Amino acid sequence: MVQNQTTLLQGTLDLLILKAIGSGEFHGLGISRRIEQITHGTFQVKPGSLFPALHRMEEAGWLSSDWGESENNRRARFYRLTKTGHRQLGAETAQWIKVAVAMANALKAT
Amino acid sequence: MAVLSRIRAAFRNLLHKRQVEDRLDAEVRSYTDMLADEKIAAGVSPSEARRNAIAEAGGIEQVKQAVRDRRAGIGFEVFAQDLRYALRQLRRSPGFAALAIVTLAVGIGANTAIFSFVNAVLLRPLPYPNADRLAILWSGLGYSNRAPFSSFEVFHIRQRATQFDQVAGIWVTNGALPGDGPAEQIKVGDVTSNFLPLLCPRPELGRLFGPQDDLENAPNALILTHGVWARRFGSDPNIVGKSVRFGRNRATVIGVLPQNFRLIFPDDASVPPNVEVFSSLPVGPWEPQGPAFLHVIARLRNGSNLVAAQTEMNTAAAEINKLGGRASMANFSVSVFALQADDVREVRATLLLLFGGVALVLVIGCANIANLLMARARQRLRETTIRAALGASRSRLARQFLTESLLLGALGALAALVLGYAAIRAILAARPPSFVNFDNVTLDWRVLAFTFVVAIGTSVLFGLAPAMAVRRLDLTRDLKESNRHAGFRRRHWTSLLVSAEVALAFVLLLSTGLLMRTFINILHADPGFSADNVFTFRVSVPGYAPLHLIQQKLAALPGVRSAAAISHLPLDDAGNWYDYYYKEGASADEQNSVMADHRSILPGYFTTIGATLQEGRDFTDSDDAQHQHVVLIDDVLARQLWPNTSPIGQKLNISDSPAGFYQFQRDWAVVVGVVHHVQYHSLTAIVRPQIYVPYPLAPRPSMSFVLHTGAGVTNLADAARREVASVNKDIPITHVEPLQLLVDRAHAESRFASLLAMLLSGLALVLASIGIYGVLSYSVAQRTTEIGIRMAIGAPRSQVMRMILADGFAWVLPGLTAGFVLSLFVTPLLERLLYGVKPGNAANYIVILVGVLIVCALAAFLPARRAMKIDPLTALRYE
Repeated sequence: MVQNQTTLLQGTLDLLILKAIGSGEFHGLGISRRIEQITHGTFQVKPGSLFPALHRMEEAGWLSSDWGESENNRRARFYRLTKTGHRQLGAETAQWIKVAVAMANALKAT
Repeated sequence: MAVLSRIRAAFRNLLHKRQVEDRLDAEVRSYTDMLADEKIAAGVSPSEARRNAIAEAGGIEQVKQAVRDRRAGIGFEVFAQDLRYALRQLRRSPGFAALAIVTLAVGIGANTAIFSFVNAVLLRPLPYPNADRLAILWSGLGYSNRAPFSSFEVFHIRQRATQFDQVAGIWVTNGALPGDGPAEQIKVGDVTSNFLPLLCPRPELGRLFGPQDDLENAPNALILTHGVWARRFGSDPNIVGKSVRFGRNRATVIGVLPQNFRLIFPDDASVPPNVEVFSSLPVGPWEPQGPAFLHVIARLRNGSNLVAAQTEMNTAAAEINKLGGRASMANFSVSVFALQADDVREVRATLLLLFGGVALVLVIGCANIANLLMARARQRLRETTIRAALGASRSRLARQFLTESLLLGALGALAALVLGYAAIRAILAARPPSFVNFDNVTLDWRVLAFTFVVAIGTSVLFGLAPAMAVRRLDLTRDLKESNRHAGFRRRHWTSLLVSAEVALAFVLLLSTGLLMRTFINILHADPGFSADNVFTFRVSVPGYAPLHLIQQKLAALPGVRSAAAISHLPLDDAGNWYDYYYKEGASADEQNSVMADHRSILPGYFTTIGATLQEGRDFTDSDDAQHQHVVLIDDVLARQLWPNTSPIGQKLNISDSPAGFYQFQRDWAVVVGVVHHVQYHSLTAIVRPQIYVPYPLAPRPSMSFVLHTGAGVTNLADAARREVASVNKDIPITHVEPLQLLVDRAHAESRFASLLAMLLSGLALVLASIGIYGVLSYSVAQRTTEIGIRMAIGAPRSQVMRMILADGFAWVLPGLTAGFVLSLFVTPLLERLLYGVKPGNAANYIVILVGVLIVCALAAFLPARRAMKIDPLTALRYE
């Protein structure tokens, strides 16, 4: 996979991160791997975009984070969704589906 | 929610920076470590895995910076950075910083000081309950439309007023200080029972006057000001209800006014702020022809307005006209003004003009700072371009420049507050008379807000030019050009600023010239008397016989050439007494058309004060009630009443009191002399003509003695006190002072105005010449190489000097032209303040023009001389 060949739409990154974390707890690398996995490799988020987004979303109160141990016994920062984060995930998902359906219809129109 | 959370985060980021940074570092490192772990597991060598991991992540520092750039509170962070950078820049050029801050401190400080007066005098409401509903009423009859009312008229106005819920009156007279102890003369306010409740919500002790004090058999009641209560009665807490000596009678103290109570009336109302005791004065319709002496204020009914009140008063005046009072058949009118507007009508124009003046000085100062900043921006062009080339955005660079300006503005404003406070103290100490009523000038929140806004506004104003210049940076060109030559662009900006400075300074100087001419004219105005070697003091008079005896004893003192007395000294307006007077055979209209000041005197008064007796004779000791009743008039009244004949021997209807104190009545008197007009109210305006009545016909409870002494006679006060005491040791002497003091006091207003104007325009001129000098020296420094080349190829030194001078005057001349045009609009605004000089005075224009040219030439000469002294060899190697 060539890196970053697909430009992320504005606002997509936040939704992807929220979705990737879901009800779990992940550290930065884990989140980026999970995004790769759930988008089947379409999106590869680099730390230069990931960390600013994570910190911004934590500042907004959607995520909370704590130090923990990784699988290989590395100290890592684990992120999970707060209550607001879950609400935000719901709202953004609904919004995205609406846009996606509208776009798909528009493109199918002859 | 998200907003609150972000604000909390911003605080955490700013306050716990270390922790936040540590966490970020650990987090990014753990990411690359884990990435490397994956690669090692895939069989890559550890060192290569680590390098690849970091490269794949895009660099640890770069990731951290990306996070920092998006962090909450990043704006503050950048601002703090800019601020630190700005401080470093200022510290690096302390001369520039000092000049800019001092200029701002003076400019903003002057504005702060004048604004605090505008605030106290024009903006802040009078310190009375419902101040916005208080009105002052003036009667008009004949040529005067700012005259007092008679009791009869006030009674009938009250009957008809529906737009006012209160109509109250006051008359201020001289009286004795109540209580035991040494006799002293003070101002007493005779007020209608509703007057004090209008201005004072509640007394400190006891009660205010009420309807019960208007009853016919009401006992004599007194209300004391806080001051009298403290100094005469030792702040006796049980004073209320006590009977005290009051002049020849006794009266009961019923109340004490609060300490902050003050009377604030227009200057020409003869209601001075130093009234110390109030007694009650009922009004009624008893005397239709009675004298007009009451100054009337009224409170608008809730929901009414001045226009409705004025309309109603017009109708009332027409009705009162028909009632057979003094107003009958004359065009009696009642004018209604807001009390506050009327109080400040004299000082308003002066203040607003001063405000305009200080604003101009500030604008000139700003132009200077803008020029300095532009010059600095050009010097720093290379640095700025390099920063831009390294990736600083234009807006970030512009913000950097603006931050520097704001920092200058803030430092200037701080210094300005200190300076402004000092200026307020200084102005209050100079006590221009029109500000006497307004000494509560302070730096309140409004003044602080004003200073703040002005500081921000000026910073943006002078910071805009360099900030804009940054936006026009051209990287390739500006990096290639040497720093010195880059300055040649945008010279038109600079020259425009210098021209504007010259124009504004020119206008300010022209105005100052006019005000100074006015002051000189006032100094030389003929007051109708000579204050030289005239010494005065005031006495309470027990009767004519002792007064006459004192006069004889004083005249016999060694060193005294003559001694006499008068009821009101010239230029000592308080407690004035005036009325309508008319000649024999005058129609009803004419009877109410000419007003004059009423003055009671002893023979010899005119000789003593050096007034000119133009016709007829002075009074003699035998001009008394038993002989023919006589009167003296001044030449102004003579021209008004007898324009074509000599007034001597004519009959004038006056008011006199041959029977004793306070039994004034209308009476016919024969004119025996005409005196040149004496300025009793101001040095410049003829407010009213005068009539003089001999003391036996017009006894007053208090008189001022005037003593004309030989030159150099001093220490008369003790001798005078001894002589007065030898006649009656209970007669108090007050106001011992030379007559010159009253003249000086009358000069004070004009002196104040011209002094302040001088200060302001001096500042303006200094700033403008600093502007010319600064810009020209900068340009000489920039052109050193060019000048060197010119001289190397044979240009004579004089030509170089001419070139630089011409450069300077290329800015000065358009500035002067613009200033001239501006002055045609500005100087007419001064008209009201001028005396004996017209705004368009040609001599003023010429003098100021020459003055400005000389100063500008000097400012341009210094850099020009430096250019002339440039050594071509050094200059060429300068690069």
